[in-house]
Amino acid sequence: MAGVSVFDRWRDPSEKALGFMLLAPAFALLALIVAYPIGRLIWNSFFDLRLSGGGGIKFVGLENYLLVFQDPDFWNATKNTVLITLITVPGALIIGLGLALLANLPFKRKWPVRLALLLPWALPLAFAGLIFAWFFHTEYGVVNDVVRRATSGAGGQTEPTMWLLRPGWAFTAICMTIVWKTSSFMALILLAGLQMIPKSLYEAAEVDGASKWQQFWQITIPMLTPSIIVALIFRTITALQTFDIPYTMTKGGPGNSTETLAMLIHKTTIDYLDVGYGSTLAVCMFVLSLFVTAFYLKRIGKNA
Amino acid sequence: MNSIFDSRSLRFIAAAMVVVNGFFPALWILLTSLKTEAELVSKPITYLPHQPTLANYVQAFTDQPLLKYLGNSLAVALSATAFSLLVSALAAYAIARLNLRRRQLILTCIVASSMFPLVTLLVPIFETMRTLGLLNSYTALVLPYIVLNLPVCTLVLVSFFQSIPKDLENAAMIDGCTRMGALLRVVVPLAAPGVFTAGILAFVNSWDEFLLALSLNSNPNFRTLPVGITLYQGEFTFPWPIISAALIVAIVPIAVLIAIFQERVVGGLTQGGLKG
Repeated sequence: MAGVSVFDRWRDPSEKALGFMLLAPAFALLALIVAYPIGRLIWNSFFDLRLSGGGGIKFVGLENYLLVFQDPDFWNATKNTVLITLITVPGALIIGLGLALLANLPFKRKWPVRLALLLPWALPLAFAGLIFAWFFHTEYGVVNDVVRRATSGAGGQTEPTMWLLRPGWAFTAICMTIVWKTSSFMALILLAGLQMIPKSLYEAAEVDGASKWQQFWQITIPMLTPSIIVALIFRTITALQTFDIPYTMTKGGPGNSTETLAMLIHKTTIDYLDVGYGSTLAVCMFVLSLFVTAFYLKRIGKNA
Repeated sequence: MNSIFDSRSLRFIAAAMVVVNGFFPALWILLTSLKTEAELVSKPITYLPHQPTLANYVQAFTDQPLLKYLGNSLAVALSATAFSLLVSALAAYAIARLNLRRRQLILTCIVASSMFPLVTLLVPIFETMRTLGLLNSYTALVLPYIVLNLPVCTLVLVSFFQSIPKDLENAAMIDGCTRMGALLRVVVPLAAPGVFTAGILAFVNSWDEFLLALSLNSNPNFRTLPVGITLYQGEFTFPWPIISAALIVAIVPIAVLIAIFQERVVGGLTQGGLKG
């Protein structure tokens, strides 16, 4: 074994060396795109750092944080983000469960239903936002047209709803769009869960005389709980980051009534180039999502 | 729940509800894209176009460099997919096959990276790319997209690698293959379906991404489709037939991909999802 060259070692390395080589690219990228940015983010949040107007870098300690807590825009964006999460996550779960139950029926041809669940998932969020902005158009939108047709029989000459031009309605329209866009992913995960429930459970319940309603609550829901939790975690984490749909539907308007935290951070840093304050906002959002993740992880621990 | 839907007609209604929910938005955009501007602003609104026209499609390509955006999206999504697969296949093999201590911790680290809200990392990523001189380049998007795809690709590939019997690999090594040789000649070909599934998921993820594409590449030469399509609207004008035509052009590639590989996509999604 006189000449064990480097090349031979590369060809047949030890288990540990091979593991290191194989994992290196993944962790190098995680360091560059996740770990270093997190450190940099926290560092930046202690500085007055504006890229516009040639302003220098000034250490300001916790001043940015004090400003954040007094910033009405921050609280408005936080309120909107939390509300969107609280409305659209359960909304998508309920609609997704309905879609999954319908899609789980024994159809002869499975592909139309499957494709109908996949298409909304594959559609970019930005496209969904644009399409639904057109749906909710005050004058020429299909939503107002359907409402008009449905109510014209009742005789009421109602004004068309100005969906995207009134704060409350704009918020509603955005939530409906998010629920439509995300419920099909929920449905796909729940459908896989439904298909794993053994048929024998239902047959046994049938013999015992349980009603369909009882079977749903006593068998389907408990058996589906693991899938539901996984789907909820994924959905909540993405709901907290909501950006694309409000950005393409209303740009946060009217006023800033539909502005989310992600949009506020984007506006502060990319549009106004105020990196110091934007970083502080991002740290606050980061802490918020850590709390939510920790809450879920604790719940999972209890269930397992 | 089946007895309510025992009859064929009720089952048909159930299927119709799911299908309408999924397809209606795309269908409505298709109809809009075929209408003339004059028909669009007539009231009450029409559902089917009276005089179908393709003029909006021509305008979609001339008002904005739509073809360029399409090419950019393809270049970014394809290279992000290729690199995501390479990086996550290496990592997944190490996790699934090597006798490493703390392999569960390694997997958790990779998966946990998807828990960080991307938008909070936007600022430092923007700064990093600026320092490296990578703003307005394909690389600026490909690098973060690899990380974006890493968790789901690694999860899918780990479970595929684990399903390949270790004996096959050992047999190859007894027959004189090196460890690397066994990996390349035995494991990779057998894992091809898994690699493919992970690839589609990575492609869709990269194709759809909006926030980074919007923030890092503002130069039209590197703009991707989702960002480019928002630019048809003027400050006060929304040329909806043209936007709709552009949307149809942008949706078709991804819809065809999904239609062809739907079973794989569903398998990959639920696998990646349920294990995470």
